[in-house]
Amino acid sequence: MSDPLSKAATAGEIAHAVATHKVKAAAVVDAALKRIEAAEPTVNAFTDILAERARKRAAEIDASKHPGPLAGVPFAVKNLFDIEGLPTRAGSKINNDGPKAARDGALIRRLEAAGAILVGGLNMGEYAYDFTGENAHYGPSRNPHDPSRMTGGSSGGSGAAVAAGEVPLALGSDTNGSIRVPSSLCGLFGLKPTYGRLSRAGSFPFVDALDHLGPIARSAEDLALSFDAMQGPDPDDPVCTHMPPDPTLPHLAEGIEGLRIAVAGDYFASGGEPEAFEAVAAVAKALDASHTVVLPQAAAARAAAYVITAIEGAQLHLPRLRTRPQDFDPDTRERFMAGALLPGSWYVKAQRFRRHYRANVLKLFNEVDVVLAPATPCTAPRLGQVMMKLGGVELPVRASLGLFTQPISFIGLPVVVVPLQRRRGLPIGVQLIARPYNEKAALRVAAFLEKQGVASAPPV
Amino acid sequence: MAKDKPDIARLVDEGAKAIGLPIAPEYRPNVILNVERALAIAQPLLEVELDDELTPAPVYRP
Repeated sequence: MSDPLSKAATAGEIAHAVATHKVKAAAVVDAALKRIEAAEPTVNAFTDILAERARKRAAEIDASKHPGPLAGVPFAVKNLFDIEGLPTRAGSKINNDGPKAARDGALIRRLEAAGAILVGGLNMGEYAYDFTGENAHYGPSRNPHDPSRMTGGSSGGSGAAVAAGEVPLALGSDTNGSIRVPSSLCGLFGLKPTYGRLSRAGSFPFVDALDHLGPIARSAEDLALSFDAMQGPDPDDPVCTHMPPDPTLPHLAEGIEGLRIAVAGDYFASGGEPEAFEAVAAVAKALDASHTVVLPQAAAARAAAYVITAIEGAQLHLPRLRTRPQDFDPDTRERFMAGALLPGSWYVKAQRFRRHYRANVLKLFNEVDVVLAPATPCTAPRLGQVMMKLGGVELPVRASLGLFTQPISFIGLPVVVVPLQRRRGLPIGVQLIARPYNEKAALRVAAFLEKQGVASAPPV
Repeated sequence: MAKDKPDIARLVDEGAKAIGLPIAPEYRPNVILNVERALAIAQPLLEVELDDELTPAPVYRP
């Protein structure tokens, strides 16, 4: 059990300490604000720090008789979430000139209703069109494991803030891998839920067909705790499920008995550096998973996700590309412009293929419950690095960090990333992929791996 | 089947004109590069053959 005021404390440990009056929420918030102040010059995770708001909220929690399952847990959100009184930057300069949000995004409201305390907004790649965590306007978020390296993106500040121990919990968004890539490169647990499982109301969109929101944390339990608090229908997001919440936390300690676990072969077994596949092998060994499954046409799925992203993203930003091109981050501007010129037939084909691929992949889940795949093809690249060699082939860093995440989010499957800390070298993550609405299975496997000492996320 | 290499620079210039998107000269080379990259990345999708009956799976319900 960690000291609830230390950076090692998990959300679960803090909530327990606050609920049992071992520590005051006010003290937890003060400790978090001090850590943020100390770490920011190195990691650049935050764009907005909400000290006054957080202290006020902490006083309310300390006065409450039923503070909730996340009592006193400080958390922060990628700055594409609406935060009352602040413009929703979404990593951009343009939106920062826009109107202030009238109220918090749905997931912030749900976490705070469970007792958590928002302490700030987090840096991100502009408009979420990013796998690096770099940002020309606000500077790059820096990887706490090595500040000369990328956090991964686009939820880069979310990865940096949790890995540095500034906060135990952060929210991010994931369209093609933006929760899973920073979780892998920063050595953290991350959950990209089933498409439509968590409300996206009050967040700035990127690609409606593929956008997901979810948590990044330092334990499987914290993912489950926060996920459970955020579940539930929301008429403000037309994609959000009508299913009632299905708590995962009570099942976390059930272990892996009865779960059929396999390794993704073919596409997911090549095109990366050895450490990506060694991590999958280590997890497979711990789970005694020797069976291999093939997700058919994964390369086409990655291509289709790319096409949908490029065209939807460009369409969303076309008015701004016309009027304020000079105010875009140079690393997103010309990609958005290119997306505006791609044929509409590609988009429709990608959407038709999505249904085809979904049907075929769902068949696999008649035989398995959880599929293992690398989260990233490599560990964190250097900041500013443009090209990298993967499996002997020279590829652009930006497009390639999501090679293994894109074919999964494309059809909205839930994924937990578990981090492996390597004795020599940087951390790397493994994806635990489950059938739609079965986050529970992936979280159980993550908790098992953590208990076995295979996966862990100590703060840097 | 052999095919002619598409003239991406022309596609960018004419396409941008058609949709009313001004592209400053300093942005143009990188836009061309990104359309070329998109063409390469989209290939595995473009090569897939789909049945006529296969429609998308929309969530829109009136």
